[in-house]
Amino acid sequence: MKKVAKKYSQVMNFLRTPTPTLIGIYIVMLIFFSLSSKNFLTIQNMKGVFNSFAVFGIMAAGVAVVMIGGGFDLSVGSAAGLAGIVSAVLLMKGIELSTPYVFVIAIVIGCLVGLINGLIIVKVGINPIITTLGTLAIFRGICYFWADLCPRIYNVFVQNFGRKYIGGVFPVTTIYIIVAFAIITLIFKFTRFGRDLFTVGGNENLARLAGIPVDRIKIISYMISGFFAAIAGLLLISQLGSGRPEYGTGAELEIITIVVLGGVAVGGGKGNFLGVFIALVIIQTISNGMVLIDLPVFLRMVVKGALLVLVIAIDAIRSKRHLLRY
Amino acid sequence: MAENGSVGISKKRHFKINNTAILFLVLAGLFIIASYVGRPFFFSKLNLIPMVNNLSFIGIVAAVLTMVMVTGEIDFSIGGNIGLTACLTALLLAKGLPGWVVVVIALAAGAAMGAFNGMVVTVIGVNSMIATIGTMFIWRGIGYTLTNGESILAMNPVIDFIGRGFIFKVIPFPIVLLVIVFVITYVVMNHSKWGRKIYAIGSNPLASFLSGINVKKVKFISFLICGITASLGGLILTSLTAVGMPQHGQGLELLIISAIILGGTALGGGKGTILGTLAGVFILSILYNFLTIMNVYYFYIQIVQGTVLILVVSAYEIKQMMIRRRT
Repeated sequence: MKKVAKKYSQVMNFLRTPTPTLIGIYIVMLIFFSLSSKNFLTIQNMKGVFNSFAVFGIMAAGVAVVMIGGGFDLSVGSAAGLAGIVSAVLLMKGIELSTPYVFVIAIVIGCLVGLINGLIIVKVGINPIITTLGTLAIFRGICYFWADLCPRIYNVFVQNFGRKYIGGVFPVTTIYIIVAFAIITLIFKFTRFGRDLFTVGGNENLARLAGIPVDRIKIISYMISGFFAAIAGLLLISQLGSGRPEYGTGAELEIITIVVLGGVAVGGGKGNFLGVFIALVIIQTISNGMVLIDLPVFLRMVVKGALLVLVIAIDAIRSKRHLLRY
Repeated sequence: MAENGSVGISKKRHFKINNTAILFLVLAGLFIIASYVGRPFFFSKLNLIPMVNNLSFIGIVAAVLTMVMVTGEIDFSIGGNIGLTACLTALLLAKGLPGWVVVVIALAAGAAMGAFNGMVVTVIGVNSMIATIGTMFIWRGIGYTLTNGESILAMNPVIDFIGRGFIFKVIPFPIVLLVIVFVITYVVMNHSKWGRKIYAIGSNPLASFLSGINVKKVKFISFLICGITASLGGLILTSLTAVGMPQHGQGLELLIISAIILGGTALGGGKGTILGTLAGVFILSILYNFLTIMNVYYFYIQIVQGTVLILVVSAYEIKQMMIRRRT
C-alpha cells in the first residue's frame, strides 16, 4: 500500500513538472511538420536532426547547471568557439599535436573560461548577465587572434568524433548527449554537490547559513558549463571540418530558450534535466522544421527571439513573479 | 546625533560630486593624450566631426537608457531597435514618402517597440535582462526580413539633415539633438516629480509602491521613451551612413551600457546621474576612436569593450564593498 502511494506521488510529481506538456508539444509539432513537409519524417532528415542535438544539447546541459544554481551564462558560445579554434590550430599541419593533448587543452580552456566567469561573478559580486556579456565579447575577440589561419581538420579521430554514424544510421553524438545528461542527472540525484547547488539556487542566504560553501559551489557550476562548452567546441570543429573564429556566435539565444523551456527557473533552484533534454529536441526540431517548410532565413531569427520571449513569459507566469512586481 | 547625521550627508554629497568630477578629469586627460599620441589625425576636422556625430547618437540613446536603468530595469534591445528603424526608414523613403512623414513613422515604430518591451516587463513581470535579449533578436530579425538582408540607400533632404546637417553652418545637427535630449533628461531627472519617482522606484520598489507611486506605469513609460530615443538614434545613424541596413547598431548595447555604468549608474537601480552618463559616453567614444586611429583591429577593440564593461562594474562593486566594510 505504501509502495503504491509512493509510486502515485512520484507520478503526480512528474506530472506537475513541465515535462508532460513538453512531450505533448513535441507530438503536436511532429504531426504538424510531417504534414507540412514530406521530407521531415525521413531517415536522412532525422539523421541530421539527431546530429544537430549535440552541440546545443551539451552547451544547454552546462547552462542548465549554472541556472539551477541561480547564475546565468551567456558566454558559452564564445567559450565553445575559443576551445574549438585553439584545438583546430593545434591540430593544424605543422603543429599536429596528438589528439589526447588537444582534448585536454580544449577542456582546460573551457574550465578556465568558467573559472574566470565564476570568480568575477562570485568574488566581485557582479550581476552574472552583465559579467558573461562582457566575457562573451572578450573570448570572441580572442578567437579572432587566429582569424587568418582557417585551419582544416585532417585528424581522423577528431573528424569521426562528431560525424560518425553507428551502422550508418545512428549518430554517435546522440550517445554523448545521452551520457552527458545521464551523468548530470545522476550527479544531481545522488551527490552532495547536486543537492547543494539546488539549495544555493533556491535561497543563497539560507544555503550560506546552513554551512554550504556557496562560493565554491557556484564557481564549480560555471566551470562545469565551461567544460561542456569546450566539448561542444570540439564537436563544432569536428562537424564543420575546420576551425573558424565565429563558430558558436549567437548560440546563447537558443541555449537560454532551451534551458528555460525545459523548466529551469530563471532565478534558479528549480529544474530537471529530462525537461531540458525534451526542450532541446523541441527547439532543434523547430529549427529543422523551419528549414523544411522553407521559412525565409531572416524570419527564423524573429521566430527564435519570439520563442525566447514567450518561454520566459511562461516562466514568469508559472512562478507567479508578476504578483511580486508592483 | 543630528550633527553627526548632517556631517555624514555632506560628506556623501561631497563624494558624489567628486565622482563625476573624476570622470570629467579622466575625460580631459584622455582627450589630451589622444590628441598628442594620435596626432595629427585625432585632432583634425576629418576625425572630430564624425566622432562627435557618432557620439551624439550614442549619447541620445544612453541618456534615456540611464532613466530605464535607474528604475532598476535594463534594455538590451536598443541595438536591434536602431537596426529596425534604419531599415524601416530606408524602405519608406524608397517608397517615396516625404521625409518628415518617415521620421514620424520611424519614431512611432520606436515607441511601439519600447511599449512592447515595457508590456512584457511590467505586465507579465519578466526579467528585463532576458526579455530584451529576446526582443533584440526579434527587432533585428524583422529588420533583416523587411530588407531581405540588403542595404538600402536612404537619401532625402530631411533625413540627410538629421545626421549631417549643420546649424549656422558650424554646429552639427546631431550635437544639437544631443544637447536637447540631455537638457530635457537632466531637468526631468533632477528637477521634476517624475525624476524623483524614478529614483525612488530604483532604490526601493516596495516602498515606492506603498507610498502610492504607480511603479508599473513609471517603468512602462521609461521603456516607451527609451524606444523612441533609440529610434531617433537609428534615424541619425541612417542619415550618417546614408543607408539603411539591418546590421546597424549591432553590438551597440555593450558600448552604451558600459558607458552608462561608467557614469555611475548602478545595475540594481536607484543610482545614476545624467551628467555621469554624458561623461561615460564621451570617455568611451574617445577611447574607441583613439584605438581605431592607433590602428587596432576591430576584434581587439571588442576585447577591450568587454574588459572595460567588467572592469567598470567591478570597480563600482568593489567601492561599494569598501564603503560597506567601513560602516
